[in-house]
Amino acid sequence: MIIVFDYKRTTIIIVNMESGITTKRRTVDNIAISYTGIFDTEILSVLAKEIEGTLSPDDKVNKKVFKIFIELAQNIAFYSLEREANNEGGDTGVGTMVIKNFDDHYVFSTGNKTTMENIIPVMEKCDNINSMSREKLREYRRLQRNMPAGEKGGGNIGLIQVALTASNPLEYSLIKCPDGTYFYIISVRIDKE
Amino acid sequence: MEDIHITGSKDCYIQPSVDFVESTGLCDISGESFMEETATFYTPLVEWVKEYSKTHDKIVFTCSLTYYNTSTSKWLLALLKELRAMEKRGGSVSVIWYYTPDDTDMNDDIMDYMVDTGLKIKLTPFEEV
Repeated sequence: MIIVFDYKRTTIIIVNMESGITTKRRTVDNIAISYTGIFDTEILSVLAKEIEGTLSPDDKVNKKVFKIFIELAQNIAFYSLEREANNEGGDTGVGTMVIKNFDDHYVFSTGNKTTMENIIPVMEKCDNINSMSREKLREYRRLQRNMPAGEKGGGNIGLIQVALTASNPLEYSLIKCPDGTYFYIISVRIDKE
Repeated sequence: MEDIHITGSKDCYIQPSVDFVESTGLCDISGESFMEETATFYTPLVEWVKEYSKTHDKIVFTCSLTYYNTSTSKWLLALLKELRAMEKRGGSVSVIWYYTPDDTDMNDDIMDYMVDTGLKIKLTPFEEV
């Protein structure tokens, strides 16, 4: 069986090689690409290629989604509470990524487990970023970039970059898990040109 | 000191190609840079420029990265600051940066690098390469 996405990625075309029958199914909730699991280097490069190469017919939009993906995926890798052993002898964060496709925009979301203590400053950073103009954001990014290099993940410079690339606000929500931890979701809208 | 030659990879580690040559003073970074652990990759490059500048007075740095993550961007700034320090001590420093004209993100970035370091960066569109 071969599964093919149409170019808009709102439909899955399933071809049965034996019978030759072709069926079309609309993807659930406009989902174009989704992934849940470890965000290690290998997965990162596979998903990056998928997004950069085939998400939409517009390379410029693909590049935007790709840039946003890299920053948010690396945040999961560094900061997710849920971790799995990676191939390099360390551990990497586990999380979820969903790209939804609508007529005139994409919605890119990532989610990962966290604690209330760790996520409060991140939500404050998002609010702070959303209150800034483009010029102010660039100034803020410069400030962050001038902080000593080398610390894990580089702090919140990634979130600033996501807001600048998307030119849209960062939306977030928090879901309480039964085990007392929280699932943090961050979403951003990327307009099609 | 030894030259640095790194062949870029997109298969797993997503690192750029690097050529830092002592005899010619030509230093080049190209490809894409979005590995997760940027410190391990970039610390030796910054150290190389620091060492090189102690015994040489001319360097040409070219960057033709088509994409780098924000973590990499901190290290590019560290490299540029090292080059600026060399220039301030009287060295001859040229920085040439290849870019895609419609990539406004990257254009903004390069402008910000100039403001932060005081270095003059020669912008060259990719088409002219």
